[in-house]
Amino acid sequence: MKTILAVAIFSLLVACGNENKKTDNTEGQEANKDQVVNVYTHRHYEPDQNIFKMFEEKTGIKVKVINASADELIQKMKMEGKQSPADVLITVDAGRLSRAKDEGLLQSIDSELLENSIPSHLQDIDNQWFGLTKRARIIAYAKDRVNPEDLSTYEDLVNKKWKGKILVRSSSNIYNQSLMASIIANNGEAAAKSWAEGIVANLARSPKGSDRDQVKAVVAGEGDLAIVNSYYIGKMLNSPDAEEVKTAQKIGLFFPNQEDRGTHINVSGAGVAKYAPNKENAILFIEYLISEEAQQVFTDANYEYPILESVSPVEDIRAWGDFKEDNLGLNKLGEYNKKAVLIFDAAGWK
Amino acid sequence: MQQGGNKDEAFSLKTRIKRLKRDSNKWSVFTLAIVFFLALPIIFIGVELFAGPGETWGHIVEYLLPDYIWNSFYLVFFCSILVLVFGVSSAWFVSRFDFMFRKQMEWLSILPLAIPSYIVGYAYAGIFDYGGSMDLLFRQLGLEFIRIDIMNRAGLAFVLSISLFPYVYVSARAFFLNQANNLLEASKMLGVSEVKTFFKLMLPLARPAIVAGLVLVLMEVLNDYGAAKYYGVNTFTTGIFRSWFSLEEPQTAVYLSALLIIIIFALILFEKWQVRKIKFTSSKTSSTQIQRRETKGSTHWLIFSVVFLPILLGFVLPVAQLIYWAVLTASTVFDLEFIIISLQSFAIAITSAIITVFFALLLIYFSKWSTLSAIKNISRIGVLGYAIPGAVIAIGIMIPTLALDKWLIKMLGNFGIDSGLIINGTLIALLYAYAVRFLAVAYNPIDSTALKVDNSIPDSSKVLGVGNLKTFFKIEFPLIKTGVFSAVILVFIDVMKELPLTLVLKPYHIDTLAVKAFEYASDEMVMEASIPSLFIIFTAMIPVIFLNKLLIKK
Repeated sequence: MKTILAVAIFSLLVACGNENKKTDNTEGQEANKDQVVNVYTHRHYEPDQNIFKMFEEKTGIKVKVINASADELIQKMKMEGKQSPADVLITVDAGRLSRAKDEGLLQSIDSELLENSIPSHLQDIDNQWFGLTKRARIIAYAKDRVNPEDLSTYEDLVNKKWKGKILVRSSSNIYNQSLMASIIANNGEAAAKSWAEGIVANLARSPKGSDRDQVKAVVAGEGDLAIVNSYYIGKMLNSPDAEEVKTAQKIGLFFPNQEDRGTHINVSGAGVAKYAPNKENAILFIEYLISEEAQQVFTDANYEYPILESVSPVEDIRAWGDFKEDNLGLNKLGEYNKKAVLIFDAAGWK
Repeated sequence: MQQGGNKDEAFSLKTRIKRLKRDSNKWSVFTLAIVFFLALPIIFIGVELFAGPGETWGHIVEYLLPDYIWNSFYLVFFCSILVLVFGVSSAWFVSRFDFMFRKQMEWLSILPLAIPSYIVGYAYAGIFDYGGSMDLLFRQLGLEFIRIDIMNRAGLAFVLSISLFPYVYVSARAFFLNQANNLLEASKMLGVSEVKTFFKLMLPLARPAIVAGLVLVLMEVLNDYGAAKYYGVNTFTTGIFRSWFSLEEPQTAVYLSALLIIIIFALILFEKWQVRKIKFTSSKTSSTQIQRRETKGSTHWLIFSVVFLPILLGFVLPVAQLIYWAVLTASTVFDLEFIIISLQSFAIAITSAIITVFFALLLIYFSKWSTLSAIKNISRIGVLGYAIPGAVIAIGIMIPTLALDKWLIKMLGNFGIDSGLIINGTLIALLYAYAVRFLAVAYNPIDSTALKVDNSIPDSSKVLGVGNLKTFFKIEFPLIKTGVFSAVILVFIDVMKELPLTLVLKPYHIDTLAVKAFEYASDEMVMEASIPSLFIIFTAMIPVIFLNKLLIKK
């Protein structure tokens, strides 16, 4: 009994210790307010922490991070209202950013640097958010079974010849939702619906697992084609697991819709929070994220496409060649997100 | 307290209120206050119901609801079977027989609980994957690998069962250890066979304890998000997230939550109903421990295997897979910082375990001392938090605490103090949330042991003029200690691996291991998530071993 009490007291002390540490931090924050930037981020990547450290060293501004999914972060900011400590919101897709904008959680900022360096379709019209890195939603195919010349567009995937051949993850995934939103924006709702039904009819198995799992299933022979994000292939090629590297080497990459609108891309992006207590720092922070050195880290360590044309992608990505991007304004992705989900459900895309 | 005077007004409202006043005592008021405190977030979610469902509710009912209901029932059914088989058999063999490594297996059987179920899900996917461990093993042996697809509904039922059966194991074992001995002896003297004794005597008597554990398992099963999402199985909880975030309709999510709560409430009522006939109390708690039988030959091996199998499937295999991944990723992921984060997680988990158990004790005993019979039932509202997805609870917590915070800011502002948020973004909100979420985990094992304490003991103490509180500490607490320790272990482990609440409510710069693991896993870096996951498991082992020793000693 006594031991338990001792443990309890010790733990409380440790917990209180943490609590004190926390108050110290807030006090520190008040003493020199301009030295902090509070970041709510959905990017849970190791390289990001290195970039944050680089920023801290360069500017002396301390980066404080809350990691959670974008949905939860948006909910949190909404409830915190004016008291929200958030300065910057970072998400892994444009849809969530434009939702944050619609909820009135972001503010327009003046930054010539951001406006000029980022292509206009990859930033918000009202300067409320800016793309940081790009990912393409591509088709991964089994090199030994598929002739890439048979592939052409996303729309062509509903062709009967792919019956039982297509692998894709659940429609609850944001990358699929964005792809669908782009198809609604480009082809209209009715076409999008029959597209979804066509894909479901051609599926090799019920949607499950991650993008990496789709690639593995292609190599295992469950299907021939997988709709996946480009940067996962980059990660698989550099995986610590030799088997995963071998798997990734067995598939080819195809960039769809090169003859027409281009391959669907999405961005990971950032915006300044409406009630940012450290607005100036927030702008400096986002500007740093599109600096050449930060962009280089994004592509080198995370296999994303840099948003700056001047930064060349990492070797593994360059090997896939240049491709034509869909220049759809990414605001549309947020606009059609809900519609996309409704269509998925109606088509039975789990 | 006072007698209502006028007899002629027998059934008027006034008399009823008077009676209510007469029958209630301060404990009733305390109970209500605690229930209110714990149910506050749930009440706030409930209030949302009056706003009506979102416009996509019809869409959900048409396309998704049948699937949610069918999958949820499928999981409830198969998980119940698997969990009962694993949990009860292990508990019985471990309590009744002596065999090789029994002592170690006694606490090893609790450990599957220490691995978050979505991590177990990832580990099993990794084992059976193309290029996964089984594949490699088969290739090494020169065999043709037949891929087993585990990522489906049946696989999910297996994964959840194997990582949650310890709930049943813990509560069943607590019963067998402390209650079974005199009955066993009687049965033996009457010449009843071992097998018959178990099925005809022990199993029916242990039912309340077993069902209490089972209800916890089922709540957790219905609440699972990570594993179900990864395995592509749509359940209520995945539906709640879908309608809330993808369809952008919190109201619809609240409706789904409400349906889920109704199902859970039905389960709880079912438990109460089935326990109602079998009231069994013993005054001999912990006085005589069960006598273990030595086993030999094939029986010995059979018992050994039956107990070892769930440990193998629920702990050894997933941990082996995690260790393999950890070795592959150690150079990039391992950081001494993990030790500090482990300490933080440990401190937070043990603190909230103690707070939660404290609240559970208050709730159980205050309602017991209250003379109003309805109070006991009302007090069970407090356990509903476990049925609600953590992310939803987080919102339920934030609504009232933010309102309080804003009020405080305003009040303190009058005195020229700029306080900032006092509750939100600090440990207070987080600990409160854990208590709301995990009260059921503490409540059930304590309640089922408390039920076993014959009322005559505390009653005689009270007749002798000893107060409620003193009676509790001197007499009842020692009798229910097993239940209390089990509760502390279970809540501790649950907090260690808790995710959605922690993500939303945690203070800056306090990290937990579960958050670290999630940061990797959420981005498909499952291998990299292995190191924080292993840290969770090892940190959780400390109290399991420690408290288990205390449990056995008494």
